[in-house]
Amino acid sequence: MSLKRITKELNDLGRDPPTSCSAGPVGDDLYHWQASIMGPPDSPYAGGVFFLSIHFPTDYPFKPPKISFTTKIYHPNINANGNICLDILKDQWSPALTISKVLLSICSLLTDANPDDPLVPEIAHIYKTDRAKYEATAKEWTKKYAV
Amino acid sequence: MKEGSVYDEGFNDDDDDDSILLEFESGSDIEYDDTGLLRRDPGLASLSDEESGKGGNNGYYLDGATISSRNVVIPKDELYENDGVPKLSYRCLTTDQIYELMLERLERIQPIFDISYEDIIVLLQQYAWSEERLLEDWTENRDNVIVSCGLKLGHEPVASRGIRKHANFLCHICCEANKMKTFTLECGHEYCLECYQHYIKDKLLEGKIITCMSCPLALKNKDIDAIMGDNSSQKLMRSSIKGFIQKHSNHYKWCPFVDCNCIIQVGNISTLSEFPRFHLSPYVVCDNQHRFCFKCGLESHSPGDCHVAELWVKMAQLESANLNWVLTNTKECPKCGVNIEKNGGCNHMTCKSCAYEFCWICEGCWAEHGGGYYECTRFKKEDKNGAVESKNAIRKYTFYYKLFSEHENSAKLDWSLGLTVEQKVKALQENIGISWIETQFLPESIRALIEGRTTLKWSFPVAFYSDPSHNLTKIFVDNQSLLVSAVEDLSQLLQVKEPQKIIDRKLEFFNKARFVRSRDKALVECGRDLLCKGICIPHQ
Repeated sequence: MSLKRITKELNDLGRDPPTSCSAGPVGDDLYHWQASIMGPPDSPYAGGVFFLSIHFPTDYPFKPPKISFTTKIYHPNINANGNICLDILKDQWSPALTISKVLLSICSLLTDANPDDPLVPEIAHIYKTDRAKYEATAKEWTKKYAV
Repeated sequence: MKEGSVYDEGFNDDDDDDSILLEFESGSDIEYDDTGLLRRDPGLASLSDEESGKGGNNGYYLDGATISSRNVVIPKDELYENDGVPKLSYRCLTTDQIYELMLERLERIQPIFDISYEDIIVLLQQYAWSEERLLEDWTENRDNVIVSCGLKLGHEPVASRGIRKHANFLCHICCEANKMKTFTLECGHEYCLECYQHYIKDKLLEGKIITCMSCPLALKNKDIDAIMGDNSSQKLMRSSIKGFIQKHSNHYKWCPFVDCNCIIQVGNISTLSEFPRFHLSPYVVCDNQHRFCFKCGLESHSPGDCHVAELWVKMAQLESANLNWVLTNTKECPKCGVNIEKNGGCNHMTCKSCAYEFCWICEGCWAEHGGGYYECTRFKKEDKNGAVESKNAIRKYTFYYKLFSEHENSAKLDWSLGLTVEQKVKALQENIGISWIETQFLPESIRALIEGRTTLKWSFPVAFYSDPSHNLTKIFVDNQSLLVSAVEDLSQLLQVKEPQKIIDRKLEFFNKARFVRSRDKALVECGRDLLCKGICIPHQ
């Protein structure tokens, strides 16, 4: 069942790709995808291209896909291993969500971080107390790792 | 709920404490008789409660509880025993009983709401069954509550909801095209029945509101049952109540024993903090006769208090990984060296190979153990004089830990022995033709044995932390020996299998069980004395 759904999502992505995102299988395995997100222009990540890896569970879409950044990124809700703290990837997941919608949510997370529910408290602290320093570091990391 | 009627009234509407449903006000509403509460006090358990026929299956404490009138606050001094020892009032419930109580409660509050019964259930689920919080929000902004819980406002146009039939439906979840049956709420998000079933199955155990897959509109119990084709919504209700219990763990605790689903609810939680002052622990007994400490969640650990138990367990975790490995279940016969596995409760072992009789604990000759007390509970400091201090400390710990774990294993075997008692009781009734009530000395003996064994087990941490040179410690150790001999005697007696022999020795059962009880009580009091007088000082 999950294979049919994944195939459909792949076709939909090809037919109507979302702006600034792309995704597709890595090899023959349809359960393992790679995705890329362009850094949103109104964020310190502008100009960077961030890669993500996507693993579908066998009972997809009833369980959320496992998504993580493979490109290093300086963000309060994304840790050094690339894990993302996003509610729709955990308990707020719904079978009606798609990879395309999830990638768009990640894009908006890059623009608007959620420092009140941080995965990396140190970055969240800087984000809240010294916004300029946060933006400078994020820009630096983008230049270093994502360009 | 066997004693439900006594307490139901205690759940009153005036509960402003913690905005928790199903909570009785501390100290109010319930009046106790003077004797009823003494009976289940830690360490004061005696044969008398069972003898007087009040030992029932649950809530020994509640035997004398009567309702006087609403909102009668018991004067402060009545919350304590005569000697100032705090009392605990509690009862044992199952999730089903809690569920029933919630439904009763629902009936009572329903008139306040102008919405259906089903919708109130959804609201309560969202509010973790805390009706006070719900009522507060409801009076403040009714529409907001309704929408945030995924319900439709009354004035909105009612679209059709429920199962629909199609010839060829394309489901957007599974992307299959030939679906015949679908389900939709008023929102119009329509998905095939199989996908909905799969979706609901996972969510039933989470105990939260199940919404439409695309929007926050809530599925009601009747929707869930219609989709699943059975009464799955009951499962969801039960899991939501489990969440409630975990969230309110200061009032409710699951029985820690394996496979026991009892929940203990304590009425006067303010009393809990009083226990440590007296070196006592708030013990509760569930319907399955599991006795445990409501404060630390461990099994009964008297004569030690929670502090002793906590330090001992911590130490055991640190030190005993290796020890446990060494202390396996088998031992060699001290005489012929054949490997022996202990599969019964008694420590009086007879080697099948050479017929040598020995004590499982000290591996010494059994004959030398006669005369009332056992050398093997004594730790002899002078055994190896000249040993290095630190090595001695480890040796001392190992000695006590070994005793502790021996009695723990014996206690486990006693539990399994206890399970056979029911069959024995049945055999007595069928073969000898005596009444059920007359066979009750058997389960009572088992209880005495298990409780005695548990006390014995937890007396070793107390002995370990006590000053060995003090006279009271010596008395404590003597008391330990007496309890060991009483417990072993009873354990041996309980191995008797033939129904006729059991009946013939009925008086012996009575006497030995009574003796264990009195030794148990004496040891517990002696241990508490050590703690109160500062002779037993738990340390890292």
